[in-house]
Amino acid sequence: MSFLHINNVHKRFGETHVLKGIDIAIEQGDFLVLVGPSGCGKSTLLNMIAGLDSISEGELLLDGRCINDVHPSRRDIAMVFQSYALYPSMTVAGNIGFGLEMRKVPRKQRREAVDRVAKLLQIENLLDRKPGQLSGGQRQRVAMGRALVRDPQLFLFDEPLSNLDAKLRVDMRTEIKQLHQRLGTTIVYVTHDQIEAMTLASRIAVMRGGELQQLGTPQAVYDDPNNLFVAGFMGSPSMNLIKARIVEQGGLPVAQVATDDSTLTLPVVRDRDALRDWCDRDVILGLRPEAITDPASANHGEGNIHEAELPVALVEPTGADLYVVTTLGGTHVNARMRPGTPLRSGERTRFAFDVSRMVVFDPDSEQRIRDERTAETTPLEETA
Amino acid sequence: MSAASPTARRGLATRAVLYAILALFAIVYLMPLYVMLTTSFKTLEEIHQGNMLALPGQWTLDPWREAWGSACIGLECNGVHGYFFNSIKIVVPAVLISGLLGAFNGYVLTKWKFRGHKIVFGLMLFSCFIPFQIILLPMARVLGILHLANSTGGLVLVHIVYGIGFTTLFFRNFYASFPDELVRAAQLDGAGFFTIFFRILLPASVPIIVVTIIWQFTNVWNDFLFGVSFASGDSAPITVALNNLVNSSTGVKAYNVNMAAAMVAAVPTLIVYILAGKYFLRGLMSGSVKG
Repeated sequence: MSFLHINNVHKRFGETHVLKGIDIAIEQGDFLVLVGPSGCGKSTLLNMIAGLDSISEGELLLDGRCINDVHPSRRDIAMVFQSYALYPSMTVAGNIGFGLEMRKVPRKQRREAVDRVAKLLQIENLLDRKPGQLSGGQRQRVAMGRALVRDPQLFLFDEPLSNLDAKLRVDMRTEIKQLHQRLGTTIVYVTHDQIEAMTLASRIAVMRGGELQQLGTPQAVYDDPNNLFVAGFMGSPSMNLIKARIVEQGGLPVAQVATDDSTLTLPVVRDRDALRDWCDRDVILGLRPEAITDPASANHGEGNIHEAELPVALVEPTGADLYVVTTLGGTHVNARMRPGTPLRSGERTRFAFDVSRMVVFDPDSEQRIRDERTAETTPLEETA
Repeated sequence: MSAASPTARRGLATRAVLYAILALFAIVYLMPLYVMLTTSFKTLEEIHQGNMLALPGQWTLDPWREAWGSACIGLECNGVHGYFFNSIKIVVPAVLISGLLGAFNGYVLTKWKFRGHKIVFGLMLFSCFIPFQIILLPMARVLGILHLANSTGGLVLVHIVYGIGFTTLFFRNFYASFPDELVRAAQLDGAGFFTIFFRILLPASVPIIVVTIIWQFTNVWNDFLFGVSFASGDSAPITVALNNLVNSSTGVKAYNVNMAAAMVAAVPTLIVYILAGKYFLRGLMSGSVKG
């Protein structure tokens, strides 16, 4: 029995079907991140877990108990809101202690609990201030303090970092992760930022249009995406999606890609059995930028490297890396090379393709083409 | 210096003209108040000499004493003080109750929306546009049925009913921009309907409370029509008493007493403006309102 079980949950607002049967199960201590573009239903799902939105259909189980009809305050859940939602007329101490006050915790105990949390979050010197006198980062801490002080079974975070500036966001992200590791709490976290999702999560649920696209560990979602949407959404710069054709060569399927002046043939390593059925048909190849490198920085040990000389369309140095753009299958393809590689657009250079990391998609259904046994993540639930 | 001086001089000239115009308007607006004040400190003989704008030659407080304590209104000669307290007794509960009800309405209409909440608010809003005169007869009938005719309580009820539309409008619009997330956070914290209202929303509503008090206080205090229709005799408010005082004096018109009585009737609204206006500004400045 999992700790939090979202069982075939639907949400309808009148005619509009916002959530179309979501199935997610996580264990105690998990850090689940719901990620997806705006309007995908992730915040609605979070509000339903909190009890602030009703559930149209399906079941919500927390620690084996059905909480569909339990009042928000009795679910043993605390939530950190996007706008922090600090009570403007109360001091920081009043804000943090309000939940305990409502639960009739005696004043002395309340004071101790507030002090303990303030110490944990390093906001002891702010306890007597009003929210209006705090900076964005301090408000964020107070909002987290208000959730932590109640020591609930489950924490909900609704895009808590989206109102902070870029630098502070990275710092707070690290702090949230440290806090999770230290306290071992179970967290459900909503964001539209895939980097936040990758860095924080122990499990990622990628959502789109009210449907769950994939649920899995960050690495699984990154390396083994279920469909084109997940492949394109996760990762920055995003995965190269290249038009190709599968043909049979020496009894094995290979992928043929049009370059500017000829044809590039890449051997297929993953999902070979499934791809046998796709001979002489068009597909879409997925290759991360870091799987296309210069030969010297290629992963010769674990990878399966295939080299080819191709024209350089554009060079984009970022400092840490050098992104080299070439044209494959009619689209620009990003390759990640060593910085300082002396390259100019118009020249030709050798690209090293790590085909062991290549994934293949059906261009019509946009689903992954893969062998049955390599499906490491929960398959997509078809409910629509 | 020499290069900047023409523009500086032109700026100064514009400013002088501007202030002159403003001063002129201020004088025009303050003139009646000036005449009222000076007249109320003059003796009757001095008034009869005719120079309305002159300062009192001999300052006297007698007109004020008479207006407050011994001027004749109708048959009784006790001054306006009884009616002054009548007005207080009407205004305080009417303002507090209509304000509180308006705040509740605003809270429910924005944070606990129900089916048809827009229609309810629309009807409330509509009541703001109903002129006093239209409801005189039906209101008289209702007060009769409730046995509240000719009483302070009846007048309080009338002003509450008539004020709810405005107070609801004020509070609804204020709470519409009050973040819903605060209410949700409080719900998760375990606060109920009334706790959320009294602990979260109301303390953050100082500016709109002040606006409501100024508006309601002024309207109820200055009301004449409801007062004269529903509370004659001893329970009349000061506006009605002032009217009776001015109209019932026989023989020589005691302008100085009339002016003093009019000042007594006008002072409370002035005080509310001066005091509450300060709080209003302070509430806006402190930034404590926005979360």
